[in-house]
Order: sequence, then C-alpha cells, then structure tokens
Amino acid sequence: MSAAPASRATSRTAYAVAALALLAFLAVPWVGISNNAIRLLLTTFLWVTTSLAWNLLGGVTGQVSFGFAVFYGLGAYTAGLSINGGITPYAAIPAGGAVAAFGSLLIGLPTFRLRGPYFAIATIGVNEAVRIVMSNLDITGGASGVRLLQAGRFSQAEHYYAALGVASLAFLVSWRVMHSPFGLALRAIREDQDAAADVGVHPFRLKLAVHALAACLTGVAGGVFAHYTAYIHPDGVFSFSTSTSILLMPVIGGLGTLSGPVIGAAVYSIVQEEMVVHFPQFHLLLYGALLILIMLFEPGGLAGLWRRLARRLRGGGP
Amino acid sequence: MGLDDLLNLFVAAILLAGIYTAMSIGMTVIYGVMKMVNLAHAGFMMLGAYFALEMSQRLPIDPLITSVLAAPVFFLLGIATHRGMVRFVPVADEPTLPSLLLLFGLWLVLQNFGYAVWGADDRSIFTPLTMATFRFGGIVVPVIRLIVFGIALLSLVALHLSLQHTWFGRSVRALTQNREAGQLAGIDTGRTAMLAFGLGIAFTGLAGALLANLYSFTPDFGGSFMLRSFVITVLGGLESFSGVAIGAVIVALIETFSILVVPANYQHAISFILLVVVLLVLPGGIEGLLQRWRRLR
Amino acid sequence: MTELLSVKGLTRHFGGIAAVVNLQFRVKEREIFGIIGPNGAGKTTAFSMIAGSLLPTAGSIRFRGREIAGWPSQRVVHLGICRTHQVPRPFTGMTVYENVEVGMRFGGRRTPPRGEVADEIERILEFTGLSGWGASSAGSLPTGNRKRLELARALATDPVVLLCDEICGGLNPTETADILSLLRRLRDSGITILYIEHDMRAVMRTCDRIMVLNYGQKLAEGTPEEIQDDEGVIEAYLGRRSWMGRAEQLEEPP
Ligand SMILES: Nc1ncnc2c1ncn2[C@@H]1O[C@H](COP(=O)(O)OP(=O)(O)O)[C@@H](O)[C@H]1O
Ligand SMILES: [Mg+2]
Repeated sequence: MSAAPASRATSRTAYAVAALALLAFLAVPWVGISNNAIRLLLTTFLWVTTSLAWNLLGGVTGQVSFGFAVFYGLGAYTAGLSINGGITPYAAIPAGGAVAAFGSLLIGLPTFRLRGPYFAIATIGVNEAVRIVMSNLDITGGASGVRLLQAGRFSQAEHYYAALGVASLAFLVSWRVMHSPFGLALRAIREDQDAAADVGVHPFRLKLAVHALAACLTGVAGGVFAHYTAYIHPDGVFSFSTSTSILLMPVIGGLGTLSGPVIGAAVYSIVQEEMVVHFPQFHLLLYGALLILIMLFEPGGLAGLWRRLARRLRGGGP
Repeated sequence: MGLDDLLNLFVAAILLAGIYTAMSIGMTVIYGVMKMVNLAHAGFMMLGAYFALEMSQRLPIDPLITSVLAAPVFFLLGIATHRGMVRFVPVADEPTLPSLLLLFGLWLVLQNFGYAVWGADDRSIFTPLTMATFRFGGIVVPVIRLIVFGIALLSLVALHLSLQHTWFGRSVRALTQNREAGQLAGIDTGRTAMLAFGLGIAFTGLAGALLANLYSFTPDFGGSFMLRSFVITVLGGLESFSGVAIGAVIVALIETFSILVVPANYQHAISFILLVVVLLVLPGGIEGLLQRWRRLR
Repeated sequence: MTELLSVKGLTRHFGGIAAVVNLQFRVKEREIFGIIGPNGAGKTTAFSMIAGSLLPTAGSIRFRGREIAGWPSQRVVHLGICRTHQVPRPFTGMTVYENVEVGMRFGGRRTPPRGEVADEIERILEFTGLSGWGASSAGSLPTGNRKRLELARALATDPVVLLCDEICGGLNPTETADILSLLRRLRDSGITILYIEHDMRAVMRTCDRIMVLNYGQKLAEGTPEEIQDDEGVIEAYLGRRSWMGRAEQLEEPP
C-alpha cells in the first residue's frame, strides 16, 4: 500500500514520544514535585485509562455507553472489599478488572441486541438501576460507603506508579487493538454493522469482547482509585455523573484515536482541578458546552481541531 | 388491603397517567418528526419546574395557573434551540449518535445552569391547595392532582385539535408516518421540524411546571422522568400519539401498584429496569406485541 | 453439473406486503443464474434471505444439502455464500484496502498466511479494477468504483456462491461490459454466481439460466432464449413497453 511508508514514519515518531513521556513520568516522584501535582497526575492517569477504555467501545466500535460507572464501581468495590479481606492489592486490583469484565457480559448479552442509540439509552437505565441496587446492599456499606482498612500500605509514589502502570497498560492495549484485525472489524462494525456481518464479521460477539476488554480496564482503574482514596461509596463510583465524565473525556478529546482520549482526560483533569474548588458545577457546564460545539463543528474533537490547526499553520490547504 | 385501597391506587395511577402523557408527548412529537431522542428532555423539564417556582414567587396568582404560561414560553425556547443548534445535525430515518450526544450536552448545560442560578437546595411550591383533598365515598383524591390532571388533559385536547385541523398538524402527521413520502409531497421539512421541536419543548416545559406543583425538585430534576417518557414512548410504538396515552397508563399503573410488592428502597429503580426490559422485550411497543399475537393465531 | 443451492417455498412478508411468495429454484455449480423482474418484484428480498441478512417468513434454503434458512449472515458467509448490496454500503470511514481486508480476514474460509494478505488484497483490487485506489477513503469513491468495491469485498471472503445485486446499475456501457467480463471470468474460475439485473441486455448476454420474478412470484425460468420466447413473460410485460423494448435490442451488436 502506498501510504505505508509515511504511516510507518509517523508511528516511529509516536513510539519515541510515548517512550520519552513514559520516562519523564517515571522520573516524576524523584524530582521533588509537590504532592499536589503528583495527586493531579495520578488522577489524570486514572481518567486516561477510563477514557481509552471507553474509546475502544464508543469511539472505535461506535457503541456509545452511558454506563461505564458500573465497571468503575465494580472494580473499586471488588478491590476495596478484597483488600479489607486481607488480600494483597496486587491481586485485589486485577480481581476488580475481572469482576467488571464479567459484569460487562451480563449487561452486554441483552443490551447488544439493541442498535446504537437504543443501546446508549438502555445503558442509562442499567447504570441507574445498578447504582440504586448497590446503594441498598449491605456488602457495599449502603449509602454510607466503605472505608479501606489497610490503605496505609502504599506510599504515594507507589499509588502513583500503580496509576501510571494502568494508564500505560490501557495505552498499550488500545494501540494493539487499533492495529489488529480485531480493531479493523470493530471499525467495520462502527461504519455499518450489517455490511460487516455480510462479509463474515460477527458483530454481537466482537462487541461483547471489546465491551469486556474496556470494562476490565475501567475496573482496574476503579480498583486503583479505591485503594488510593481509601473510601468509596455507591453514589460516588456508581453514579451517573461518573459515567458522564468517562464518556465526555474521549468524545471531547477525539473519538477513535489514541491521542484524543489522552488529551480529553488531561484537559478534563486540569479543568476540574482548577474549577471544582471555585465553581463546583461549572466544569460540567463547560463540558456540556464543549460537547455541543464539538458535535456541531468538529466531530474529531480537540485532537481533530489540533490536526486542522497544525495543517493550516504549516501552510497547507484547509 | 381492602377494595377501597386498591381503588385509591387505581385512581392515583390514572391521575398520574394524565401528566405522564403530557410529559411524554413532547418526546414523541420530536421523535416522530425528526427521529431524534431528546436527551435534553430532563433539562427542559427542570427549567419548567423552576419557571413555575419563579412565577409563584413573583405573581400573586395561583402557581397552577402560572404553570400554564410555561407552554408558550417553552415553545419559543424550543424554537430558539432548534434554530441555534438542533437544525445543524443531520436528520436520518433513525436516531443518530451525533444528535444524541448534542442533546446530551445541552442537558448538561441546562442542568448546571440550574445549579449556577438556583443552587442545589431542594425546592418545592406550596399553595393553599397543596394539602386539600377531595372525597368521593372511600376514595380520597388530592385536589392539586386533579387540577394537574385536568390541565394535562386540556393541553392534549388542544394538541389533538391542532394536529387534526392545521397545515402544521398535517405536515407533522405526514412526516411522522413516512418521512420520505412527506418530503416528496412538498412538505417544508425544516419549518415543520422547527415548529415540532418548539411544540415538543412546550409540552416538556409545561409538564415540568405542573410536576413542580406535586414534587420537590433540584437542578437534577427530570432525569428519571425523562427515562419514564422514553419507556412510555417506546411502549406507545415510538411515534403514535394515542399509543403514548396507553403507554402512560401502563407505566403509571406499574409504578403505583409496585408499592405493594417492591421494597421502598428499590422503588426508584423500577423506571430504569422498566426501560431496559421494555427496550429488550417490546421494541415494537404494544402495537408490535399485538401484531405478534395476531400472527401467532 | 451438481446442484449447489436449492430454495423451496421461500416467503417473506413485510407487514401486509408479501415481498416474496413461495419461491422455488435450484442453482447448479459453476453457472451464472440471472434473476430479473421489475422494481419491487422481490429480488433483493430473496437475496437478503439467502445471504442471512433477512429472516424468511417461511421456506427452506439448502446449500450443498444443508439447511441454512434463518442462519445469520456471518455464518452463511463462512459457509461460502456472500452478497453485494444494490446500493453500495462501503465502510466509508476506512480505506478501500481496509474494506477488502475486512472481507479477507473475517470471511472465515481461508485467511492467507501472515505475509500474503497484502498481496492477496492487491490481487483482488487489481482484478476488480481498483488497483491504485487502495489508500483512498472508501467514502470518496465515485459510484462505479463503489460497485467494484462491493465486488472486491465480497470476493475477499473467498465465496463459493456470489450474490450480485444490480452490480451494473447506474454504470455506463463500458463499465458494464467490464464488470460482465469479470463475472464470466469468476464463473470460469469455479465460482457460482446469482445475478440480479435490471438491464435485459446484460442478463441475456451473460447468464446461463434466468428466472423471472413478478410480484414476489416466479413467472418463468430457463435459458435466455427460452425466456425471450416465453409467452407468459411477454404477456406479463405487455404493458411495460420500455422494459421489453430493451430486450428487443438484444440482437444489436455491443
Ligand atoms: N425493509 C422493508 N420493509 C418494508 N417493505 C420492504 C422492505 N424491503 C422491501 N420491501 C418491499 O418488498 C417488495 C420487494 O422489494 P425488493 O426485494 O427490494 O424488490 P426488487 O429488489 O425486486 O426491486 C417491495 O414492495 C418493497 O417495497
Ligand atoms: Mg432490488
């Protein structure tokens, strides 16, 4: 294919950038940055993870879900309760991912019978139903939540590395998926599910698979979050606004790309950090407005806008 | 549980169905003409509620009467929304993700606008009628629910008349039944869509204002009502106006009578679970179910 | 020649409309089987049921003796039956190359070894006249090439039976002649082709046997000569001058 050499060159640059970024982030705890900045980076990594995970289903496969808080919550609770039961975080956090993936199958089996927008609306119902059930169970601590008993075992640097590790994992998985036949089929499903089935793609099965993969990553992020904050409650991790946040970041950053969800998550975390203190509600106002503008003017999100600007600055066409 | 109690529940359900119909009609009109699922429904209902609150504080008239003013005001708001953004997203024969996400963004904006202006406190509207009841044998009916039911019914009659007897009504019905044929027949789709969006938002705002007289509310108000509207719309067959009324009665009956079997803590989950179940089991609505039955025989 | 596909009692209703009624026919290996009939006769509906995109209301579809009615499309494709769409449905956000790659990797019959996928795709692109278009976005293709892409993507699944739905519709005579010669070459290479066409000339020249549909029912079946002389067919289309008018031009040299 004639485009191959160019794309190989860009991907080599991308590798270099990714490797450099990883090295820089690895060094962060050693260069004397404030605890507050480390906390901000840590949160960003968790959002990068959920954002990349959501993008696999919503961006690459075109199945918009308003229900990712279910997986975040399942991961957080599985990890939290396991740690309270004396299990090491190294097992508890992956267990969170496994439980979330299992949950995604239970949700996906019925709801993936529905087409795009109807699937999206059904997930609103699923999310709220799960939240209400979780708020009423004894095991979740009901509305008062659960405090993690041995949270002191990780230092902040260790928490930071856990979050960095999860984000890197999500990035690697996303990269692998997008450059594999699996990812090719997912994109075909996004473009035209029936036409994809007409050349042999099994949309239902692949949607279940990518849903499980995304849920697993989201669950692991939830587990790291639970271990870090040491306190979780259903109206936090399972809330519809958590789902909203997880959806907004990749959509605003740029769907279906690798850089988009990362940009979206970074912008979101910084904006939230700055605004939540002063104007608790305004960041969602801002994000809602951004969502409207993006749907109207730049479906490629911030990443798409960036590409367009770069092209114009370089003096190329529009 | 005596017969009187059951009868009371039944009357309560029917009264609830009236306002549910008005609330869902807004979603149905928009879906029928534009094939868009209005995810900003909740936001406009919330605005309707605060509209009623503001009016009740400013005007020395009964809030139930001022609530009615929401209809024209929200009609204009709907038209402005359509002109300003909705008309820019492409329309298809099925709901599209861009329209869904656009209206979701609008919901977020409205909701957080609500927080910015009115804060997060629980609000409610009290009137001399709030506590009044009306007795008929063993049946006790809150007067305010009766009035809300009456207003909802009147608004539906007005809608019915306007759909039957105006060019706009004919355009709406034609586009709802068959978009392509309607376009070929020379219907001004842009104009019809704009007016339909206005009409849909008018009903949504009115329903929000009326519900504000019955329940307390915050800027989060409307989310669960929006999903109920969606359930009702799907039950009604997505684009049938009379189907909506039937859907509303069914949902109201299920919710009202579920008090007997579902623990109070889980009451709120009912509408959400209903949403998923209806989407999965009855995608064709009641009409689709009847057709399936007919075919089986 | 042995029988490959046999359809019996195939029926499909849409609400009150009966789009296909009690259809029955057999297709032999290595033939081009034409299906003609006016718009709305039920040709596409019949294809969709065979290809698994549409559930039959009733009836049986046997492929190599195996009942496949009601199977989902991906399973039917994996058996070796693949369709094209009357209105092309390319994956618009992907390149032409990637479109074909989907068929090649998920057709489920014969994915070439790792290093050879690109060569195979290139070969198919060349065969269908799309070489040089590989890196273009499928959404930017003109109509003629969209039809070719439909064919390329279906061929990539390595089909035994290819269902071509009006693959020359809207093309000019040169392009049509091109595609028809492709179909003949495919037949000669061992692929069985079911071919829906509106253009009578194309059908008469290309097909080994022809079935005529009208109002969802079979009106006639036979060789091109038999169909041309069939009283029933002529009678049914007496009111359709333009349609037969095109048939009468058959003798004209291309
Ligand atoms: N999805 C559908 N819903 C309702 N009616 C349909 C549908 N598809 C086809 N039909 C109807 O079935 C009949 C046959 O259509 P079709 O198979 O497309 O005909 P052809 O391909 O021969 O032109 C037509 O009357 C058409 O309107
Ligand atoms: Mg056809």
